[in-house]
Amino acid sequence: MVASGTFGYGFDAPQVDRSALGAMVTKGTTRAARTGNPPVRIAETASGMLNAIGLQNPGVDYVAQTYAPQWVEWDLPVIVNIAGESIEDYVEVARRLDGRPGVAGIELNISCPNVEAGLQFGVDARLAAQVTEAVRAATEMPLMVKLTPNVTDLVGIARAIEAAGADSISAVNTYLGMSIDVARRRPALANGLGGLSGPAIKPLALRAVWEVASAVEIPIVGVGGIFTAEDALEFLLAGAAAVQLGTVNYVRPDAARLVRDGIVAFAADSGLPDLGDIALRPRRKAVHV
Amino acid sequence: MTVATLRRATVLERSAPMRTAVELVLHEPEAAVAAKPGQFFQLGVDAQHTLLRRPYSIAWANPDLGRIGFIFSVVGAGSAWLGAREAGQPVELLGPLGNGFATPGPDRTAVCIAGGLGIAAFVGLVKGRDRLGRRTVVLLGARSSDWLLPADRLRGAEVRVATDDGSAGHTGRVTALLPRALHDDVELFMCGPNEMLLAVVRSCRELGFPLERVQVALETPMGCGIGTCLGCALPARGGGYLLACQDGPCVTADRLDWDRMDGI
Ligand SMILES: Cc1cc2nc3c(=O)[nH]c(=O)nc-3n(C[C@H](O)[C@H](O)[C@H](O)COP(=O)(O)OP(=O)(O)OC[C@H]3O[C@@H](n4cnc5c(N)ncnc54)[C@H](O)[C@@H]3O)c2cc1C
Ligand SMILES: Cc1cc2nc3c(=O)[nH]c(=O)nc-3n(C[C@H](O)[C@H](O)[C@H](O)COP(=O)(O)O)c2cc1C
Ligand code: FES
Repeated sequence: MVASGTFGYGFDAPQVDRSALGAMVTKGTTRAARTGNPPVRIAETASGMLNAIGLQNPGVDYVAQTYAPQWVEWDLPVIVNIAGESIEDYVEVARRLDGRPGVAGIELNISCPNVEAGLQFGVDARLAAQVTEAVRAATEMPLMVKLTPNVTDLVGIARAIEAAGADSISAVNTYLGMSIDVARRRPALANGLGGLSGPAIKPLALRAVWEVASAVEIPIVGVGGIFTAEDALEFLLAGAAAVQLGTVNYVRPDAARLVRDGIVAFAADSGLPDLGDIALRPRRKAVHV
Repeated sequence: MTVATLRRATVLERSAPMRTAVELVLHEPEAAVAAKPGQFFQLGVDAQHTLLRRPYSIAWANPDLGRIGFIFSVVGAGSAWLGAREAGQPVELLGPLGNGFATPGPDRTAVCIAGGLGIAAFVGLVKGRDRLGRRTVVLLGARSSDWLLPADRLRGAEVRVATDDGSAGHTGRVTALLPRALHDDVELFMCGPNEMLLAVVRSCRELGFPLERVQVALETPMGCGIGTCLGCALPARGGGYLLACQDGPCVTADRLDWDRMDGI
């Protein structure tokens, strides 16, 4: 599948053969429309890029009324990535998407600051569980929760999210980083800090999936720096059930097809009938899903 | 919505139009037909540790010969890699992308004000107008004469030059040449560093020249080039942002919030 924020709402991407995708995850969507952060919003770094887009999006009502009816026509499940500043925000966004034809599921982006608590939902196991539980109660749709890696106890947070009723976990969002424009003696991004993505984070994301896979039973979707079929296979071997492609979409619009074809070829070459079983450390069967 | 096409072009020729820039001539017949002045391509770069394509204005296109020209300076790893491409080697193109310049009416004079490599965006525009026998004035500013595109590349236009160090033309900022050039029949085009764009807008306001008649070719760091990453946002008048890659790169200057453009 394609990762949130790297494919918009699916209408601008060029030449992407939707049949090469298992699912599409949309840009982070909030209760009200957001204009996003001031520029400069992106900067390239060694084998990666930093972004501080600021969740620019047209708001959940526009998405539900204008985009969702178009997705109905696609033979591709569309998962809406949702974000908020309070638990009520998240719940309201989920409620307005619940049961909409065209919306196949929800990915909960918990890398957003909670205005009341003053810290991100995703960095605190209790807050992460609270928001997962609240959204779980608001929707019957498949619920995937996306981990932020900028934490100390990733495994503890993943366990709390599983216990709170998530159907699956995507790991991981971007790593906080920064870049400084030496000539102008100021941070390259107007926001100062940004989220690092791309090949630079792949080993880190892989470790996150490896550790979480041994701690929870629900399926894990691996994301972070995947550019090739081999990268994707590493995540499957680490215990992921599926992968998301992010930054690579900017670089190679046909990446999803190349990765999928590469995985299929690998399975054929190695005589593996079921890629679901290739994890290096066998995973116990999922209880929900 | 931009319909972007990924294409494989071949380098026909590499040259140095001035000491500080490289001109790359690529062969890709369909792209050359589709390309309009003011639009851009995202050029694939295969340098070590780089990731994203690099956006470059179409300097000129020759649809009959299937050629597209790009003129750029080497500022980092991506431009260094592109500037080292040799005849026969492939370069990947995504595009043409974005909105080009709106064509002024036949009785209008086009005044193109460019800072440094901003001139690249105007080479094809000048050529096209020359062919139609329309009047064009180019106000070209640069640090020094080393950075000036030779006037014979702007045939048919009246070229007036300013350099910071006085090594050619007027000594000082190119915006000093504006008051004499802005008449009632003028459509103004600008491309260059942000500081220059801001200075031009200030001059236009002082001279009472409406920003609706100023077209700007925007340059800002880009990720995707096609509207999906939201990385190329610039402040829009009335609030929010527009996307340089999708709403631009060519927009009329009244669509931007120049107070918030300051300092970007
Ligand atoms: C629509 C568009 C058209 C352009 N047309 C031309 C052109 O015709 N000729 C030309 O010489 N340049 C042009 N540029 C600028 C060009 O894209 C950058 O110089 C190039 O991407 C730098 O890549 P690099 O890897 O060499 O440098 P990097 O190492 O990426 O950056 C080197 C320096 O350039 C700055 N920079 C990076 N990207 C941009 C950017 N997009 N715009 C301005 N500064 C940037 C960085 O902040 C840094 O200071 C254009 C940019 C845009 C958006
Ligand atoms: C420009 C950009 C915007 C992003 N926007 C979102 C977002 O809105 N919500 C979200 O959960 N993740 C967002 N992400 C994170 C990606 O979905 C992904 O988790 C991350 O980029 C790591 O994967 P990659 O290295 O394959 O890009 C964004 C990433 C980028 C580069
Ligand atoms: S460069 Fe990605 S949206 Fe404009």
